[in-house]
Amino acid sequence: MRQPAVRLVRLGRVPYAELLGLQDRWLRRLQAEPGTEAPSGTEAGALLLCEPAGPVYTAGLRGGLTPEETARLRALGAEVRVTGRGGLATFHGPGQLLCHPVLDLRRLGLRLRMHVAALEACAVRLCELQGLQGARARSPPYTGVWLDDRKICAIGVRCGRHITSHGLALNCSTDLTWFEHIVPCGLVGTGVTSLSKELQRHVTVDEVMPPFLVAFKEIYKCTLISEDSPN
Amino acid sequence: LVIRLPRSLKVLGLQACPGSWGWVPSGRCARDPLCFRCVSSQRNMITTENGIGTLGISNFAQEALGDVYCSLPEVGTKLNKQDEFGALESVKAASELYSPLSGEVTEINETLGENPGLVNKSCYEVGWLIKMTLSNPSELDELMSEEAYERYIKSTEE
Repeated sequence: MRQPAVRLVRLGRVPYAELLGLQDRWLRRLQAEPGTEAPSGTEAGALLLCEPAGPVYTAGLRGGLTPEETARLRALGAEVRVTGRGGLATFHGPGQLLCHPVLDLRRLGLRLRMHVAALEACAVRLCELQGLQGARARSPPYTGVWLDDRKICAIGVRCGRHITSHGLALNCSTDLTWFEHIVPCGLVGTGVTSLSKELQRHVTVDEVMPPFLVAFKEIYKCTLISEDSPN
Repeated sequence: LVIRLPRSLKVLGLQACPGSWGWVPSGRCARDPLCFRCVSSQRNMITTENGIGTLGISNFAQEALGDVYCSLPEVGTKLNKQDEFGALESVKAASELYSPLSGEVTEINETLGENPGLVNKSCYEVGWLIKMTLSNPSELDELMSEEAYERYIKSTEE
C-alpha cells in the first residue's frame, strides 16, 4: 500500500506574514478539493517550514493577549498577531523552527487529537535525534513538549473541513528573553528552553531540519515531495 | 478550568426537548467524530411554522475531544447548512463547527462561559451549544437516526 505523499515547502528565513499567506493559499487549495478518497499519488497536503525573520507574538482563538499587553509588546519592536489556532499566547522569532503542516486528515486517516499527538511526537523524536533525552509531551493544558518544567516546543493547531493549519514551534537557538514579556501559553510559573540551551552549544534551525524531516516521515508514515519553489 | 470568552463569542447549547431528534455529521468525512444531535421541539408542525432546533455535540464527540472550549456566533446570525458557525478547542486544536441546518440563531448557552465543562458532563442536557429556528425543516429528513449514527461511529473506528 502506497504511503500518502506530502509536499515539502521550505521557506527558509522569512517574515511570519509570508508563512501565513502561503498557509492560506494551501488551505484554499485543499478545502476546494472534493471527496474523501483521493487517487493514489495525490498529495495529502503540504508541510510548510520556516524560521521567522523577526520577532512576533501571536494569540490564539481564545485570545491570550490583552490590548495593554499588545501595545507593550509592539513597543518592544515585535509584531503582534491574532490567529485562529488553539492555545493562548506564544512567541515566534529567529532561531525557531516553525512547522505548519497543512494536511487533509482524511487522506492520512488521522483524527485531530492524533495529529496533535503526532506533532508532539515529532518534536520528542527530533530531541532524541539531537542527543537530548528526557523530552516528553504532556497532557492538557500542558500540550507541548517539555524537559522537566521547561517547554522546548509549543503546539497550536486549527482544523476546518478536516484540513489542518498552524502547528508547532521548536526552539533551536531562539533568544528566550523574548518569552519573559508574556505568560507563554497562559501557563504561569513554567519556563521555556531551547536545544541550544539544553545541549550547551549553538544549534541552528538549518542543522535540525534534516532530522526533523526524518522524524516527520516516520511518525506521519508519509513521503515528502520536494518542490523548488512554493506554488 | 474557566475560559474567558471574548465579547463577540457566545455559547450555544442543546436542550433536551420533547419531539423527534436525529443525528447529522458536521463534515463530509466518515472519520469526523464531530456530529451533532439536533432536537426539534416542533418537528410535527413543520408545515405550519418553523421549528426550533437545539444543537450540541454528541457523547462520542465530547469523549473524543476531552475538555473543550467553545466559541459561538451572535444571536440573530443567519446560517445556511454547512456554514461555519463557531469552533471547539481541545488539546490546543481549534476545530471549526459547521451548521447541520439552515436557520437563525435564537439563543446560545451563556452558562458555558462560566462552566465550559458542561459540554463534556452533559452534552445532551444542559451542555447544549445553540438554539436556532429552522428555515428549511426538510433538512431534518437528512439527519441520521440514532441507530444509523451508532453504525456510522463504528465504521469510523476501523
